[in-house]
Amino acid sequence: MPAAYPLPSDLSPATVTNTASLLRIIALALISGAAIASRLFAVINFESIIHEFDPWFNYRATKVLASQGFYEFWNWFDPTAWYPLGRVVGGTIYPGLMATSGVIYNLLHALNLPVDIRNICVLLAPGFSALTAWATYMFTKELKDESAGLLAAAFIGIVPGYISRSVAGSYDNEAIAIFLLMFTFYAWIKALKQGSAFWGTVAAVFYFYMVAAWGGYAFITNMIPLHALVLLLMGRFTGRLYVAYSSWYAIGTLSSMQVPFVGFQPIRTSEHMAALGVFGLLQIVAFAQLVRAHVSSKQFQELLFTAVISLGLIGFFGIVGLTYKGWIAPWTGRFYSLWDTGYAKKYIPIIASVSEHQPTAWPSFFMDLHFLIFLFPAGVVMCFRTLRDEHVFVIIYAVVASYFAGVMVRLMLTLTPVVCVSAAVALSSLMDTYLDPTEPNAEDDTSDSSSTHPTGTTPTTTPATPATNKKAKKNKEKEKEKESTGGVLGELVSNVASSAVAAKSAPTAEKGVFGIDTRLIVLLNSLGLLLFFVVHCTWATSNAYSSPSVVLSSTGSDGSKNLIDDFREAYHWLRQNTAEDAVVMSWWDYGYQIAGMADRPTLVDNNTWNNTHIATVGKAMASPEDIAYPILRKHDVSYVLIIFGGLIGYSGDDINKFLWMVRIAQGVWPDEIQEPNYFNRGEYRVDSEAAPAMRDSLMYKMSYYRFAELFGGQQPVDRVRGQHVPIQGPTLDYLEEAYTSENWIVRIYEVKKDDVLGRDLKIANAFNQGKKRKRTKPVSRRKAISA
Amino acid sequence: MRLLSSALVTLLALTKLSFASSSSGDSVLVVLDPSLDRENYSIFFGGLEKRGYSLTFRAPKDASPAITDYGVPNYDHVILFAPETKSYAQDITPQSLVGLLSENTNLLIALSPKQTPLTSLATEFSLILPPPDTPLISHHPARSEPQTTIPVPVSSSSPILTPGIPPVWFTGAPHALGSTPMLVPILRAPAESFAADSTSDADSDALVSASEKGGEGLWAGSQMGLVTGFQTNVNSRVVFAGGVKMFSDEYARKELPSGEAPGNALFVKDVAAWVFQEKMKLRIDAVDHHRVGESSAPEMYTTNDEIVYTAHISAYDSRTSTWKPYSGIDDLQLEFTMLDPHIRTSLPVVAGSPGTYQVQFRAPDRHGVFKFVLNWKRKGYSYLESSTTVPVVPPRHDQYPRFLSAAWPYYAGAISTSVGFFLFSALWLAGDVKGERKKGSKAE
Repeated sequence: MPAAYPLPSDLSPATVTNTASLLRIIALALISGAAIASRLFAVINFESIIHEFDPWFNYRATKVLASQGFYEFWNWFDPTAWYPLGRVVGGTIYPGLMATSGVIYNLLHALNLPVDIRNICVLLAPGFSALTAWATYMFTKELKDESAGLLAAAFIGIVPGYISRSVAGSYDNEAIAIFLLMFTFYAWIKALKQGSAFWGTVAAVFYFYMVAAWGGYAFITNMIPLHALVLLLMGRFTGRLYVAYSSWYAIGTLSSMQVPFVGFQPIRTSEHMAALGVFGLLQIVAFAQLVRAHVSSKQFQELLFTAVISLGLIGFFGIVGLTYKGWIAPWTGRFYSLWDTGYAKKYIPIIASVSEHQPTAWPSFFMDLHFLIFLFPAGVVMCFRTLRDEHVFVIIYAVVASYFAGVMVRLMLTLTPVVCVSAAVALSSLMDTYLDPTEPNAEDDTSDSSSTHPTGTTPTTTPATPATNKKAKKNKEKEKEKESTGGVLGELVSNVASSAVAAKSAPTAEKGVFGIDTRLIVLLNSLGLLLFFVVHCTWATSNAYSSPSVVLSSTGSDGSKNLIDDFREAYHWLRQNTAEDAVVMSWWDYGYQIAGMADRPTLVDNNTWNNTHIATVGKAMASPEDIAYPILRKHDVSYVLIIFGGLIGYSGDDINKFLWMVRIAQGVWPDEIQEPNYFNRGEYRVDSEAAPAMRDSLMYKMSYYRFAELFGGQQPVDRVRGQHVPIQGPTLDYLEEAYTSENWIVRIYEVKKDDVLGRDLKIANAFNQGKKRKRTKPVSRRKAISA
Repeated sequence: MRLLSSALVTLLALTKLSFASSSSGDSVLVVLDPSLDRENYSIFFGGLEKRGYSLTFRAPKDASPAITDYGVPNYDHVILFAPETKSYAQDITPQSLVGLLSENTNLLIALSPKQTPLTSLATEFSLILPPPDTPLISHHPARSEPQTTIPVPVSSSSPILTPGIPPVWFTGAPHALGSTPMLVPILRAPAESFAADSTSDADSDALVSASEKGGEGLWAGSQMGLVTGFQTNVNSRVVFAGGVKMFSDEYARKELPSGEAPGNALFVKDVAAWVFQEKMKLRIDAVDHHRVGESSAPEMYTTNDEIVYTAHISAYDSRTSTWKPYSGIDDLQLEFTMLDPHIRTSLPVVAGSPGTYQVQFRAPDRHGVFKFVLNWKRKGYSYLESSTTVPVVPPRHDQYPRFLSAAWPYYAGAISTSVGFFLFSALWLAGDVKGERKKGSKAE
C-alpha cells in the first residue's frame, strides 16, 4: 500500500502503546495546567477575591461550614437575610459546593496545611476545571477515541463559554457542576454500553452529587430519560438499557431526595415526571419482552402489544390527572420561560430582570465558542455516521442544549461541553484522515473520483450531507431489511446514518488523500484555526471574564490601569460605622455582597425566593418619600444603599435597573405603582423632562441628591444616560445622606428616626430650616346646626 | 472665667445630686424677663430651691450662661419666663429649644397673648394659639378683679395634680389642643370663658356667630387649654402655660371670690414636679426571656417553644430620690412581632414580687426574626418602650419525631419487601439442581 510519508517500522507495538499512553498523560497534565492557569487572570490582575454576587453567599456559607461544622451548617438559620423573615439556609441551598470546599479545607488542615478558606473558595473553580477536562476526555473517548478525547479536553479547558463561569474567584455552583455533569454523562454512557449496574450506580452517585450542587441537575434528570426514550423508540431496547436506566433512576432518585432543598420534588413536580414515566415505560417494555419470549401465539403478542400501549397511556393520563388534582406540582414559571421567551417579562419580571436570563445574542456564540461553533454541526453529523447509543445521546444533547442556549444566556454553559465534544470529534476525524499516511490506489481513484468524495473531510464541507442523501436513498431498500427491528425514529435516523454505512461498505482504498502537500494545506489550516482559538480564548478570558465586578477597572488614555474600589469602600464603611443589627435595604442584587462584606442584615438578596418582599423594596424605591417611609420603618430599615453610576459612567447602576423595580412592584401593587407613570411620552428620562412619578421616587431622589453640587453651578451631566440633570437637585426629608463613596458609585442613606415631637418629618424639616407654618384654627367638634 | 463658673456649676450640681428631687438632674436655667420681678416669684423659685434645684438666672438677651455648649446642654431643665420678649439672644430659638428637648432637657414655657418667637414654637407641639392680643376673658364668677383675671377651677382628674386643689388665678391666652396624643392637658379653661381681641365686650357678636357656624375658629369653652404638658418621644417633658402670672406670689396670695386661698402655689409646684421629671416617672429596668424550665436567654428559639417573658419596671420616688419597683400598671401588653404582631397578650404583674411583670406563651409556628415589643404609652407617664429581637428557627434536623404512627403503612411496606426479598433469595439459593439447569438455559 502506498504511503504519503514513511513511518518508522522497527518499533514494537508495546513501545508504541506505552509511548502513546505516556504522551496522553503528559497531554492531559498540560491541558489541566492550561485550564487552571488561564483562569488565574483574575487573581493576577486583581487579587484573590470572591467575585460577583452569588459567590459571596457561597463563600459566607462555606465559612460557616468550615468554622462550625457540618451539622451547624445543615441547621443554619440566617436571621440577617430577608429580614425579618429570615432564611432557612440549610434547607434552601444546594450544599454540594460548600461541602466540597469544606472537605478540601478539612483535608488540607488534617495534612497540616493551614490554607485559608477563602483561597480554597477562590481556587476551587480552576481546580475543578481540570477535572472537567479529564471528564470530557473520558466522555469523548467513549464516542470516538483518545485523540478526540484529548482535543475535547483541550477545548473545554480553555473555551471562554466555560471559563466565564469558572475563573478563579467565581465561586459558584457551576464551578463544580460542569464536571459533575460531564462525569454523570460519562458514567451513564459507560453503564449503557456495558449494561452494568455498577456504572449505573456510579452515574447515580454523581447524579446525587450534581443534585446537591446545582439546580441545573434537572437537565440531567431530563436528558437521560430522553435518551432512553429515544433509544426505545428507535427500537434499541436492550437489557443493557434496562439495567443502566433502572439502576441510575432508582438509586439516583432516592439519593437526590436526601437533599433537603429537593426533598419530595422528584415525585411531586412535573419537571421530574419524565424520568419517572420513562422508568415505568421501561418496566412495561421489559415485562412485555419477557412475556413475548415465553409466549408464541401471534394473537397473544398483539394483545400484549395493545396492553403495553394502553398501560403507557394510563400512566401518562395518571400523571396528567395527578397534576390536575394538584398532587403533582405543575410546571414552574422558570420552565415556561424556557419555551416562551416573552413569558417571564409578562408574568415573572423577577426572572426576566436578570441579565443572564435574556435570550442569547448571536455574537456571544462566537465570543464564547469561537471556531468550535462551526465545527459543532459537523461533529453532530459525524455522530450520525456512527450512531451507536452514545452518539444518539450526543445528538439529543446537542439539539436540546442548542435550543436552551438560544433562550437564555446563562444556559450557554450547558451547551459548551457538547460543543467541545462534537467539535473534537469532527476535528479529530479531519486529523485522522489527513494524518493517515496510506494513499488510495491511483487507478481506482480515476474511476470513482466523480461520484465519491473523501469521507473524512465532510465536517468542513457542508454540502456533503445532501450529496450523500441521494446515495442513501438508493441503499435505503437494502438497509431497511437489515434494520427491520428499527422503530419509527430509527428509520428516520437511518436516512442520514445510512450514508455512514454506505461509506463503510465501500472499499477503503478507493478514497483517500494523495501526496503530502494536500495534507499539509488542510493540517496547517486547522493548526492555524487552533492557534487562533487559543489566542481568542486568552484574550476573552483576560479581558471579558476575569473582572471580579466587585472591583472595577478602567483604562486611562495612556493605557494605565485604574482600579475603582467603591463597593468594598462602602461595604467597609457600613461594617465599621453602623450598629451590628442595622438593617440595610438595597436592591436584591447587592444583598449577598452586603451580607458577605458588610456583615449587616438585608431585606432582600440574590436568593430571590420571596417575590412579595422584593416587590416591597421595589415599591419603597419607586414611591415618594412619605409613602416609602412607613415601609422602611415597618421593616426596621436603618440604611438604604443604592448604586449610582452617573458620575463615572458605570452603567449597571440602580437607575438603569429602576424599571425592573417598578415592574416587580407593579406585579404586587398594580393600583399604586404603574410603569407608564415613570415615562415621559414613552421615554425614560432623568433630566428636567423626567416624569413626575420618576422625579418624586425615592430612587431618583437618592441618586441625584446633591449631584449638582459637584458641577459648581454648571449643568450637571449624567454620564450613563447622557442627559442633563436639573441644577436644582432633589431634597430629602425622611432620609439623610450617610455616606457616598469616592466615585459616587455607592451611596448610603440613613433613615431618620421618628421626630421627637411626633411631627411628620417633612414638617419637622421645614421647621428646622426656619420656614413659617400656616396658622391653624381649632377644629370644629360638633356639626354645624344649619347643615 | 466663664469656663470656671460653668465648671463650678457642674460641680455644684454633682454635689447636690444626692438630694435632688428630680430623676434627671437638678440644674435649672431660668430665663427671666427683666420686666418681671424675681421677688414676685419667690414662692415658686424658693420652692424649687427647697426641693434641691440649683437655679441660674439669666435675661433673654444675655449671651451667657449659654444653654448649650457644642451641642451639649448645660442644664437639665429650662424655665422660660419671658412671655412678651420679642427677641432673644442667639442661642434661644424655637429650633434650639426643640433641640434641647431631644437632648432630654425639660422646658417650662410661659406664653402670653403677645406674638413672640415662642408662639411659633407652640405650634410645633400641636398647640393652636389664638390670634395675637386675644386674652382669655370670663365674666364668671362675679368678682372685683378685671375680666381677664380669672379663677379657674382645677379638674382633679389629672394624675399630675394633687387632688382637691382649689381654683387657681389665671391671666393670659388660651390655646386649642391639636390631635397629637403626646399632649397632656393639665388645666382647662372654664366653660364660660372665651378669647377675644379686646377687653371690651364689643366682639361678643362675632363670637356668637362663630359658635353658630359650628365652632370653627371659636376660641371658647372648656376645650381650650390653659396649662398643657407635652411628653416627647425621648421622654423629655415640656409645659406651656398660657400666662406667667399664675406662677407669681401675687396670685398665690390673692383671695378667691369665695374668700378661700387660691391653689396657685400648690398647682405650680405640681406642674413643676411633673415637668422636671419628679413624678409619673417610670422605667423598664430589665427584660428577660427564656424557655420554660431554663433560666438564661437562648440565642434563638425554636417554633412552638414555650417562652417566659419578664419585665422589671420601677418608678421614681422623688422623696427618697430612688427608683422603686412599681406594680401599678394593670394594662401592660406584650407583643411578639414579625412585621405584624403574631401574639399579643397581657403582661400581668406577678403577685408577691413587686415590679415584676411576667407572661408565658407559646411561640408561633412560624420561623423568622421576631421582636418582643413592650409599648406602653399613657398620658403623663413616661413612655415604656422595649424591643428585643430574637430569631425563631425551625426545628433542627434531629428534633423532628423519628417514628410516626401515621407512617405505619410505609414501614409495613418496607419490612414486607425486605422479608420477601430475603425469603426469595433463600429459596432461590437453596433451590435444587433443577433450578440451576433452568437458569442456564434462560441465560443461553
